Amino acid sequence: MNAARTALGNGLVIIARDNRAAKSIAVRLVLEAGAAFDPPGQEGTAALAADLLDRGAGALSAGEIAGYFDDLGVSYSAAARRDTLEVEFRLLSEHLPGILERLRILAAEPTFPEKEVARQKGLMLTAIAERDQDTSSVCEIALAQAVFPTGHPYHAPRLGTRDSVRRIGRAGLLAFHQARFRPSGAVLSMAGDFERTRALEIAAGVFASWTDGAGRARAVIPDAPAPDRSIIVARPIEGKTQADIGLGFRGLRRLSPDLPAALVLNSVVGEFALGGRLGKAIRDRAGLAYFVYSRFTAGLGAGPFVVRSGVAPEGVRRALDLMRRTIERVRRHGVTPAEVNDSKRALAAAVPRRMETNTESAAVLADAEFYGHGIDYPEKLPDLIRAVTKTEVEEAAERYLTLGRHVLVVAGPTIDKETLR
Amino acid sequence: MSRPRARAGIKATRLPNGLTVILREMRHAPVVSVWCWYRVGSRDERPGITGISHWVEHMNFKGTRSIRKDDVTRLVELAGGTWNGYTWLDVTSYFETVQSDALEAMLRLEASRMTECLYSRTEVDRERTVVISELQGSENDPRTYLDKEVTGTALQAHPYRWPTIGYLSDLRAITRDDLYAHYRRYYVPNNSILVVAGDFDTPRALGLVRRHFGKIRAGADPPQVRTQEPPQGGERRLTLRRPSGAAYLDVAFHAPAAADPDFATLLLLDGILAGGPTVNAWGGHDGRGPVKSSRLYRALVEGDLASEVSTSVVPTRHPYLYRIVVTAKQGIEPVRIEAALDTEIDRLARGDLEPRDLERARNQFLARYALESESTTDAAHQLGFFETIGGHALFLDLPRRVAAVGAADVARLARARLAADRRTVGTLVPAGPSAVAAAAPDGPTR
Repeated sequence: MNAARTALGNGLVIIARDNRAAKSIAVRLVLEAGAAFDPPGQEGTAALAADLLDRGAGALSAGEIAGYFDDLGVSYSAAARRDTLEVEFRLLSEHLPGILERLRILAAEPTFPEKEVARQKGLMLTAIAERDQDTSSVCEIALAQAVFPTGHPYHAPRLGTRDSVRRIGRAGLLAFHQARFRPSGAVLSMAGDFERTRALEIAAGVFASWTDGAGRARAVIPDAPAPDRSIIVARPIEGKTQADIGLGFRGLRRLSPDLPAALVLNSVVGEFALGGRLGKAIRDRAGLAYFVYSRFTAGLGAGPFVVRSGVAPEGVRRALDLMRRTIERVRRHGVTPAEVNDSKRALAAAVPRRMETNTESAAVLADAEFYGHGIDYPEKLPDLIRAVTKTEVEEAAERYLTLGRHVLVVAGPTIDKETLR
Repeated sequence: MSRPRARAGIKATRLPNGLTVILREMRHAPVVSVWCWYRVGSRDERPGITGISHWVEHMNFKGTRSIRKDDVTRLVELAGGTWNGYTWLDVTSYFETVQSDALEAMLRLEASRMTECLYSRTEVDRERTVVISELQGSENDPRTYLDKEVTGTALQAHPYRWPTIGYLSDLRAITRDDLYAHYRRYYVPNNSILVVAGDFDTPRALGLVRRHFGKIRAGADPPQVRTQEPPQGGERRLTLRRPSGAAYLDVAFHAPAAADPDFATLLLLDGILAGGPTVNAWGGHDGRGPVKSSRLYRALVEGDLASEVSTSVVPTRHPYLYRIVVTAKQGIEPVRIEAALDTEIDRLARGDLEPRDLERARNQFLARYALESESTTDAAHQLGFFETIGGHALFLDLPRRVAAVGAADVARLARARLAADRRTVGTLVPAGPSAVAAAAPDGPTR
């Protein structure tokens, strides 16, 4: 693969993949500063920090930063995820040096001006009010809160709550920045119209001055115990026509040796073609739902495995029965060789397509580096998937699809709780 | 076959049966994107069969006489592919982006989809509830109601006025025969456009297209929409009260069609107001943050009135709507937002524009134009979408048209199109037991 990597003295890893097809570049900076690292009681700090990076940094005001990006037509976004805080640019290639310099200032020297902090908190409170009326968000949050106990880094919602956001101040943001925005452990990934050794040199020249107190190892996120029983959560929301339903289980870490088998299992259960076995049962045969799928979210810690769908109130019981029955059948009777072969072929063959654009390339390589797979992972992954056996898929089902130790959530129109049992 | 035309590495031609074929080689990755477009969308419906074009799209994933239902998506995924389809005002489309050696299999799939889908009564009944589930899922978002009400109020005659998903009563009543007749009427090669972008050799690809599509017989040309929206006689207003986490303001103005010379001016006008719209209805919204130097962001978000502002300019065959949608910050009355919006529109209408405003809007447009057609999927989408609504040259010419727009054009368009007596203003106010908490002003941010 035409990608190169270098590590600076301050610990920052820089990756460059050239693609001369168009005069554009994607740049992504990944920091170990996601919502999992929010200070207790101030959940939402990482998301707020992400929103504030371009609202004042170094000697630059918010207006100067926005004006610079907008004059050049550069697309900028920054967002906190579960493990990471990620900053992304899409730009025409001639602007790379200037954008890298601005990126360094935003990441290393955000000023979090009081006025901007107050404004962004207000925007976030509106977003939280909207989120709390959104059946999909409410379902996802309830799943996470039940799968991960209070105090676990994956328990709290990414934006926090009204109360936790109110408690965040400029001092807390500066402290979060000081603790989490470090070059060691961060990844700067670039893909696009450049000569890759030259791009690495330019980026190294810009980011060498970003100092780090001391290097540090990747954070450890403890495994949450799987629920010891099945948990049912109902979240009624008025004015809704459809319920968002979900089953949640404790899943696996990104570096788990089970990952390739889990990817194949997920494809068979809820992804391949029109949503795997779940799609066949709930959408195709029963006509109950427009969407149904499953997914593993594997991070620094063991994330959740969830099954999700949206159904009319009168279809909730049947859809939940079908979900449970589908999973039970996979556990009891296993998967077929044809299913495993189809899913393996599809997953392996999709790897090059998932890196077609500069944005995708930069993201895939940054992700592979951040989670410790190495930048040759996209080349190795197809072989890892092809090597998965039917037995390994069934063992993964046994390990992760733990019916009886799962969470069931229904968010939306009021449902009789008996329906959910 | 008519003689191929070449422009910007693009070959466009038409088969004797009327199928338009557009090919663009892109060799940066071993993938091809195949898009098959039909000039049919919600504009081609009437009350009683609203939503039928979209439902037909769903039915066309349910197997054909030569491809089993499961294989319609399975074959794409085995080729490492991604697939989808969508229906909108003017268009219905299907695509597969796959490893390049699967090109012929995808052409076979699309040719089969054009001619021999099955439409069994069992499948129609199963899909009825799936489509209704799609409708009800979208209605969980209160903004959907506001959007539908504003569209249906701003447009009173043109068939763009009803939702593409259709009305619930129509979705309950449409029959298998209605669906099949709609499919047969519109899915003919002379109403279709096939676009392929990616890693292939053009003469060979043309040969494959001829092999799979060349023998399909042309059908009667489908009926055209005749209705033109009459001029709006005065301002229209509506207020919705529903459970909602925030208050929203949705303002609609009458917009020019994509082929209208004023369309490029509207792109620039929106660039100055809001940072510029995407003209890629498929992938254009991915990963885009707000343009924070834009006038509306500064006036509304930095002015502590709104938490979000978005606009939309949709390239369409017939005149549609220019939309400004604002999420009110908690505790802010929408009427205050409206006043700030009026001020900014008035500035444009008075010609309060610096050369730098135009320069910035142009640069933003040109950068986005390039970035939003970079992948094979996006490149093929853009050529096909614009071909469907009037010709792919409309897309290729946009940079030139945008570059030619001057300050006086923007001011004239603002006066002509954004006047208060030609707009529709919709407001959604949170109501119900949770409304008090949702609308309460917030202490630290006032």
